This record gives sequence, structure tokens and C-alpha cells, in this order.
Amino acid sequence: MSALTELQKHYEQLKQDEQFRTELDGLLKTYAGRPTPLYFCRRLTERLGGPRIYLKREDLAHTGSHKINNALGQALMAKRMGKRRVIAETGAGQHGVATATACALLGLECEVFMGEVDVQRQRLNCFRMDLLGAKVNVVKTGSKTLKDAINEAMREYAATSDDTHYLIGSVVGPHPYPTIVRDLQSVIGKEAREQFLSVEGRLPDALIACVGGGSNSIGLFHPFVNDSSVAMYGVEAGGEGIETGLHSASVCAGTQGVLHGFKSLVLQNGDGQISETHSVAAGLDYPAVGPEHAFLGASGRVKYVYAKDSEALAAFHLLSETEGIIPALESAHAVAYAAKLCKDSPRDGAMIVNLSGRGDKDVNQVADMEGKL
Amino acid sequence: MSRIHTAFEENLSKGDGSFIAYVCAGDPDVQFTVEQAVKLSEAGADVLELGLPFSDPVADGPVIQSAMNRALSGGFSTEDVFRVLRSVRGRGVDRPIVIMTYYNPVLQYGPEKFCKAAAEAGADGLLVVDLPPEESAELDSLASSFGLDVIRLVAPSTSSQRLDEVLPRASGFVYAVSVAGITGARLELATSAGELVRRTTARTRLPVALGFGISTPEHVRLALSMGAAGVVEGSGLIATYSAALQERERALDNVERHARAMKHATLGGIVSEAPAQR
Repeated sequence: MSALTELQKHYEQLKQDEQFRTELDGLLKTYAGRPTPLYFCRRLTERLGGPRIYLKREDLAHTGSHKINNALGQALMAKRMGKRRVIAETGAGQHGVATATACALLGLECEVFMGEVDVQRQRLNCFRMDLLGAKVNVVKTGSKTLKDAINEAMREYAATSDDTHYLIGSVVGPHPYPTIVRDLQSVIGKEAREQFLSVEGRLPDALIACVGGGSNSIGLFHPFVNDSSVAMYGVEAGGEGIETGLHSASVCAGTQGVLHGFKSLVLQNGDGQISETHSVAAGLDYPAVGPEHAFLGASGRVKYVYAKDSEALAAFHLLSETEGIIPALESAHAVAYAAKLCKDSPRDGAMIVNLSGRGDKDVNQVADMEGKL
Repeated sequence: MSRIHTAFEENLSKGDGSFIAYVCAGDPDVQFTVEQAVKLSEAGADVLELGLPFSDPVADGPVIQSAMNRALSGGFSTEDVFRVLRSVRGRGVDRPIVIMTYYNPVLQYGPEKFCKAAAEAGADGLLVVDLPPEESAELDSLASSFGLDVIRLVAPSTSSQRLDEVLPRASGFVYAVSVAGITGARLELATSAGELVRRTTARTRLPVALGFGISTPEHVRLALSMGAAGVVEGSGLIATYSAALQERERALDNVERHARAMKHATLGGIVSEAPAQR
């Protein structure tokens, strides 16, 4: 608790700190490559025959996903708080890579916890973390995925918070983490809003983003929350289908619970034991969702839907073939739902799909699944 | 004074420390847990902590994680913890018993229903490890309305200012965590423990028990010499039986023998009553 109180105090101060803001903005611009483009998908739009589809290209940010926005911000905070070491959890490995990168840049020691199952399906990212000088701790407890990596990181944090910052990768965990991560990711939505206004001269009709813990989606949604004309869709991992129980759709199929220090919608049994989840996308394979998503879902401001593994895989191919952009399997869930939504939407509309990450990391896995390796 | 507090005081008045034994309920099944609780009581454990397993126990180390896994994969349910409690009471065990768990199982069962069932089954207290005092007002008042003590954790990282906020909301005893981190036997008792016990006992009339890392009679004597009124052991006890579960009698004998040695080490361990404790 004392570590969280300290973090809260520092965060409140740093938010007001001009120098911190300038330093972070500078890194986002010159190091991470922000602003990322807002790209109009001509061929995909034609293919689907519906509203104009724009992609917010977080896949073009340094390290290949939106995770760098949060990693740079928190690593800089860690440095300001006088911590010498950073720990993180990772699912798909994107957050681990982003954290390892930020730590290399800022001269911080870095250790990443990753479930054994995820290590197997995301070997490339493990090697990247190794190259960046981070230590990868393979987690062999529980379901051996993201949830268990968070458990281990929290245990480590409890023992080492004196000199160590826990750099959580999503809008989950105890307060103030969901707020910190949302604020740092909101750069996505701020840029997208401005970019869309300057291209289209109006606001988009819809925003679509995938939701695991929910950091890229909250980052896109947050700056639009008060724009009531903008519909928002959070796309969860439907896995093999909700009815099979093999999915990670916490908003669509979860109930209220407490996990990892926050109260939100959780996939669990009647006794409050947390369920094992499934998704083709390691980064969505988590049995809960950030508390702000549970709130936005309950208020009706955001509509939460899901895309199944098979739909995400189809979208993975669709975007690769029509636009020459290989999406991360996580982001492919958003593309899949966009394709579905296009069928029932007027042609003169326009939407933004958050392409939260690039798919290079997933190429091996997909080739393997399709028997091409 | 509650039954838990009284148990400590009776020992203190004889110059003895108290031994609190943690039992992971349902590891590997209900029957073994009941037998284990009976043995521990016979071996002289002064208070029993009955752990209701949780799938994601972030405050626990590998030994308790594995025990909880064994229990949950055997189908252990929340209802079963009350069954265990009733059976243990039915076997004549009258030691105070604390239910220790994480918040989500309590939330899903219903906090009021949980406190009521716990009290009716014979529990004396409740310890919810991942519910900070800031969030526990509702559960505190429910627990106290059913006559359950609310056990609080304090750690070396807990500032004295925070101790002053937390301790008035504790009852039964105060659980002092010897080292920042998770449960599990450790070779050495952290030096941070002594300082924490001193700061805590100076601020409360409740007995202070030291836990996390306690696994040998030497640890017990050292903890009491630091000013603790008792010790809590969990992982160390589980380690005595977990490798012998194929032969239950032997597993239970191991637990009993170890518990006797631990209880024995508490005898006469309170050298002089620290004035701050009175």
C-alpha cells in the first residue's frame, strides 16, 4: 500500500511538472516517432463497400505497438522517483519489449515476467527483450499466461518496491495504475481526433479498438468520450466462441469481481475463482478488463462486442492483402469487427480503427496454425 | 476481550508465546484438512488460521500457491470451508480459528452471508489479505456485527503514521509481516522484523504475531525475543506433509511433530513483559 501511495503522490506532482511533460513529449516525438499517421484505407474501404475506414497507425510507433507510449512515460517517472530497476509483465511480449526499450534508453535495470505459454508463442519478442538487456522470467504457475505474469510481477513488487518500479502495461491493477496508463495512452485519441478533423473536417462516426486489459482502446476513446455523436466499439477476444467458454471476453461475459487490486468485470466461477481464458492473441488473453471499461460499458457510452479467433485470423489476412499492412493478432480483432460493422453502416460515414500493433510477431504463429511451417 | 486476544493473554501471563498454525483448507481434500486441524490443536497450536484458497494468491509464495492449487483442482468450494470448520468444531477443537482468504471469494459469496456463515460455523476472526483498510469499512462492520475479529496485516514498509491509522481498526491480534514480499519459509528472520514489532507493540494493546518466513523453533525464539507475542507458520507446516500425501498417517504425523516443536519453542519465550504491550 505504501508503494502505491508514494506512486500516487509522485504522479500528481509529475502531471503538473512542465519539465517532465517536455521531456516525455520530446521522446515521444524524436524517439518513438509520434505523431503516428492516420491512414485512409482506400482498398479496404472499397472491398467492404461501406464507410471510409481510417487506421490509427500505432503499429508504426517505435517497437511496433502503442505500448511504447506508456512504457516511456512510466520509465521516465521511475527515473524521477529515484528507482534504479523496473519490472513488468507481458502477454504478447509487446509491453515487455517496449519496457525493455525504455529501460535501455534511460539506463534502468529491467526484468520482465512472461507466462510459459506466451514465451512459446512469442519467442521472437523474448529474443528482442534479451537483446535490449532485459531479463525474462518465465512464469510457470496457473494458466502460464498474462494473468499469472501479473501475479508474479506483483509478488516481486511487494518485495522490492524500495528500489523498483512496477511498470504495468495496461489500464489494470490497483489505483493509480489504471489512471496513469490511460493518461499516457490518451495521446492516441488526442492525435487521432486532431488528424481526423483536419482531413474530414468533422468527427468520425465510430471508433473501434480491441480490448484485452484495455489500454489502446481507452487511449483512443478517452479524448472522444464527451463527443456524443461518436460511437465507440471495444472488441474483445471471442476465442472459440463465448458459448464454448474458451474466450477472454470479460465485458461481454464477465461478472463483477476483484482481481489484481481492482474491481471490475472478471471471468470467474460462482466461488470467485478466476477462470482460465483463451485467445489466439496473447495480448488479449486476460480474465478481466480495466475498471474504466466496465464503467463505460455499464453507462452505455461504449459498446463492447467480440471477434472470434477465426474472424481475427480472416481480418489478419484481409488487411495484409488489401493494404499491405500486417496487423497484430490483437489489432486484427478490431479490424474484424470493423468489417462486420461496415455491412450495416451508411457509405458516407467514416470510422477510425486503432491498429494498436504490427503483426510481425505473429507471423510464425499464424504460419504454424495454417500448416505452412 | 475476544477469544483470540484472550488466548494470547493467557500464554503471556505464563511467560509463553503463542503459536498460530495456518492450514490450507482443502489441501488435498476436506478430510485431510479436518484431521490436520485436530492434530495441530492436539500439538498445542494456540490459534488456527484456516485458509480459503484463491486461484490467484498474489501475497503467497510457491508452497501455499501449490497447496491452493491442489485444493481447487480437487473441487474445493467456499461452502466447503464452512463444512471443514463445522467438522473441526464437531471434533471438539475449541481453539480460536481465523478464516484467511482473498477478497474475491468473499465478494462472490456475499460479504454478509460470508460473515454469518463463518460465525455460525465457529470462526472467531477474519483476515482478508488483499483488502486494504481503505476499502474494508463494510466488511469490518459486518464482521464485528457477527462477533468476528478483523485481523490486520502490517509490514516493514508500513509507516508509523499509517500504523496509527490501521491499528485502531484491528482486533484479535495484529499480524506483522516480517519481510516485504510474500509468504514462504526463509532461512533467516529479516532484521526488519524486530523494528516493526517494536513500532507496532508501542502503538497497540493487541498482541502482535510475526509471520512470513517462520519455519523453525529458532525462528520462534528469535521472534519472541524481538518482542512478538506469537508467531504464524504456514508454508513451513505445509512443507512437512506435502511430499508425503500418499501416506496420510505419516503426513499427519509429520505435521504434528513439527507443530509440537514449534509450540515447545514458545514456552517461556516471553522473557519480560514489554511495558508498551500492557
